[in-house]
Formats: sequence, C-alpha cells, structure tokens
Amino acid sequence: MRLSGLSIFALLLVAAPAALAQVKSGSDFLSPEMHRQQDDEARNPGFLWTLQGEELFSRRSGDAPACLSCHAEPKQSLRGAATHYPMVDAASGKLLNLEGRIEQCRSERQKQPAFGYESPELLGLTAYVASLSRGLRLAVATEGAAKPYLEAGKAFYERRQGQLNLSCAQCHDDLVGARLRGDTISHGVGTGYPAYRLEWNGVGSLHRRLRACSLGVRATQFDYGAPEYLALELYLAARAKGLAIEAPGLRR
Amino acid sequence: MATFNARITMPAEAKAGEIVEVRVLARHPMDRGGQVDAEGRIVPRKILNRLTVTYAGEPVFRYDMHTGVAANPFVSFTTRAVETGDLVFEWREDGGATFTRTARLVVT
Amino acid sequence: MSSLISPASGRSEPAFSRRELIAAGTAGLALATLPGGLRAATPTPLSELIARVTEGATPARGGIEFDIPQLVENGNSVDVAIRVESPMTAGDHVRWIHVIAEKNPFPDVARFHLWPRNGRAEVAATLRFATSQKVAVVAALSRGGYAMSDADIVVTLSACIDGG
Repeated sequence: MRLSGLSIFALLLVAAPAALAQVKSGSDFLSPEMHRQQDDEARNPGFLWTLQGEELFSRRSGDAPACLSCHAEPKQSLRGAATHYPMVDAASGKLLNLEGRIEQCRSERQKQPAFGYESPELLGLTAYVASLSRGLRLAVATEGAAKPYLEAGKAFYERRQGQLNLSCAQCHDDLVGARLRGDTISHGVGTGYPAYRLEWNGVGSLHRRLRACSLGVRATQFDYGAPEYLALELYLAARAKGLAIEAPGLRR
Repeated sequence: MATFNARITMPAEAKAGEIVEVRVLARHPMDRGGQVDAEGRIVPRKILNRLTVTYAGEPVFRYDMHTGVAANPFVSFTTRAVETGDLVFEWREDGGATFTRTARLVVT
Repeated sequence: MSSLISPASGRSEPAFSRRELIAAGTAGLALATLPGGLRAATPTPLSELIARVTEGATPARGGIEFDIPQLVENGNSVDVAIRVESPMTAGDHVRWIHVIAEKNPFPDVARFHLWPRNGRAEVAATLRFATSQKVAVVAALSRGGYAMSDADIVVTLSACIDGG
C-alpha cells in the first residue's frame, strides 16, 4: 500500500524527468555561432531596433512630452523595470505587459494615438526598454492581484489545443531538446523577446511568436495583446523566474 | 515610413600603419521581390544595392549587393590606419535614395 | 567592366545587351520586371557563371580561405568570411571578390571591391541562400588573373520559400 504508492511515484519520476528539469533560456538552444552573435552588439540586428527605440524615447510628438521628460536618465531609472512585466496595473486592475505599459503611457500621459503591435515604433521602444534590463533576472509578482491571471496562464499552457491537439507543456516540458524541422525544441521561455528572428528577417514581439505557435498546432490565433496571451505571458515569466532578460534576443 | 539606421563598430583610435577592422550593420528589409506581406500583397523588390566607404576622401571599400544579401545586412572589411580622418559610409537604395553615416578614426 | 548582374538563365546570350543590363543594374531597376522567359528552366552551370565574371579566364584554385557553414541553420542569414592572400600593395592587390550561389534565383550574390588601403583582402558578410548548393568565390588580382574557392552548403530551411 505505502510501498506500491512509493514505487508508482518513483516510476512517474523516471517517466517524466523533463518536467522536473531546470527551465533554460532559449539562448541555450542556439548554436555557439548564433549565441555569440546574439551577445555581440555590433552583430545582433536587434540592436538596430533598440537604436530606433532610443531615438523615439527622446523625441517629442507635437506638444506631448517625450518619454525622456518623465523618465530622465533611462539607463539608470528604467534599469530593472522590464523584469517586473507582465504586472497588474494598480489603477485599472488590468494585466499589462511592457507593450501595454508603453501604449498606456502614450495614450494616457502623452495623449497620442497608440502605435499598435508590430509597428516599428512599438517594437523599437519595447526592445529598447527591455534592453535596459538585459542581463537582469525576471522577477514578476505572482501573488495577490496577479494570482488569477497566473492561474489562467497556467491552465492555457497545460490545455491541449488546435487540430494537432497539443498543449504547450507537451513540447516545452516533455520534448525539450528534441528536433522539430531545423530547430531544437526549447523550454519556450520567451526571455529573448522582442527578438530578431531569422525567420522574420526582423524583430517581433512575444505575441507574434505565440501566434506562430498557435498556428503551428492549428489552434485559434488570438489577437496581439489578447488576454489569453497576456495571461500566458505572465505564466511564462513566472516559469522563467531567475532567468535573465535577453532582449533583443536572436532566434531562428 | 521605413527607418534607416546603422551601427558602425570600429576603434576610435589606432596607431599609424595598424590594420583595423570595420564592422557595419545596416537596418533594411532587403525585400528581394515576390514575397507576400500580411495583407496578401506581393512586396516589390527594394534593396540597398551599394555601400561605398571613403576614408579621408579616398575610396576604401565598395560592396555591391544583390537580392542574395541578407536582410539587415552585416559586412566587415579592414583598413590601414593611414591618417586621422572620417570614414564616410554611403548606402544607395533601389530607386536612388541614399543614406550616409560618418565615423572618425584618430591615428596616432 | 564586367556585368554585375547575370540573370539565372540557361541561355548563353542574355536577351538584353550588356549595356542595357548594366544600365538597368545601376539604375536599380528590379530584374523582377524582366519577362518570365529569362528565368531559368535549367540553371546556368557554375563554370559558366564564373566565366562571366572572369571574362573567360580560368581562375586558379588556392590562396583563398572561404568560411561558410556546411549546414546552414536558416537560409535567410548565413555568415560568410573570405580572406585572399595578398600583400595589398599598389602593385599587387585584390581588386574585388565576387560571390556566386549557383542555385539562387539570382546567382550573383555580391561583390566586394577593395583597395590597397584595406591592408588585408579580408571581408565578412551575411548572405541569403535559397537551397543546398555550391557557393563559389572569385577574386580578381591587380597583377592580372583570378583566384577562386568554393564550398558545398546544405540549407534545410530555405530563405526563398514563403511562409513560417
């Protein structure tokens, strides 16, 4: 009774070792050449987007204050900011990722129209702000107001979806290290986003990558900024707790 | 409107006669023509087709690019540190638009 | 002056004169506007593509270090490095280095023009390859003659097929 319970547990441990393995960043699944290129500011094309972001950060739109007006000395004042996203916005109670926060500042404080996901401006600004935390460990809040979102994200991650009827967990926990076409399956952590993807010939957001995953299992592709992807983003960030931000990452 | 920017990485200073590496990364989709965008439209060819570099007024490098050059192209070359002067980089795009950047090399 | 653009064509004579092709090239006109018939039904052999840039001369093998991955992760972005042995003096230097990808839709990929001031005939670049193929590099020497090297690459995810 107790013995058979223990042996069943032992069997489960042996059968699913990947689920207990240390979650690693996507960089660990890059070839040495690509990893070197990612770390080289002279070579990683993602830095061409952070360059644009830095320019936009100090640019005024008409009468609106520039980001720089409130966020002076961003290299110091915003260092570490990205590590807390996604987070629950105190005022609205909504879950905001970095893109959401930037758009909120733009519309509510700068009184300017939102840029929109995948616009060069939002990609540039998000990549820039995230890059100010490059190398710093993710530290998202998972308790209190964040808890229901975290649970929704976890449920999404574990749910089978699409015509291929696959859950995120089936690949990104159970099949990590296996080959899929020309790629190696990673833990699907997302710490490199916004990332320059060779497949895109440009920088894209995490939501763009998630939409590609949804397409991959022939599931519904939610909208950019959809609550499903936001909750998932929080879960992924919690799962990646302790891993460093790598934006702008370089990915295949 | 598409943004052009570029990162030029090279030492700011070098000893006379030393050979330095110049690394250039430029932002450009290098649309080779025939690809389909998110709205289902065919994107026409539009690439950077040439990069010319002069150093203290003298030509030092020219890169003729065709559709087989990657998006956001990287290129590197070397130059002898001959005299203090500007390296002027000029990219030419299909249709004739040009983009220029300058980097100074101080030779001691 | 050799043509910078050679259409991927099985024909030995291009439909447009070299002058027109060069003018089209320098005006930056898209070759995509050329009639479909110019596109290869059978691709031009590599030897002929090389002969076009050397104007018929046979390049010597050797004296070139050509670094390109054997197995390409993604055809969209492939790092190549080329080094030609040369003193790079006014009397003896490399004039240009030309890259040919025999099975790319446009096999003439790029040309790097050099001057003695470079000090070394050493370039690196990121290129695109449509499919597994042989890639050749040809260097023109100021003292006359050409050198070449080549390598076979395997491309598992093509740069030139849409989707993904």
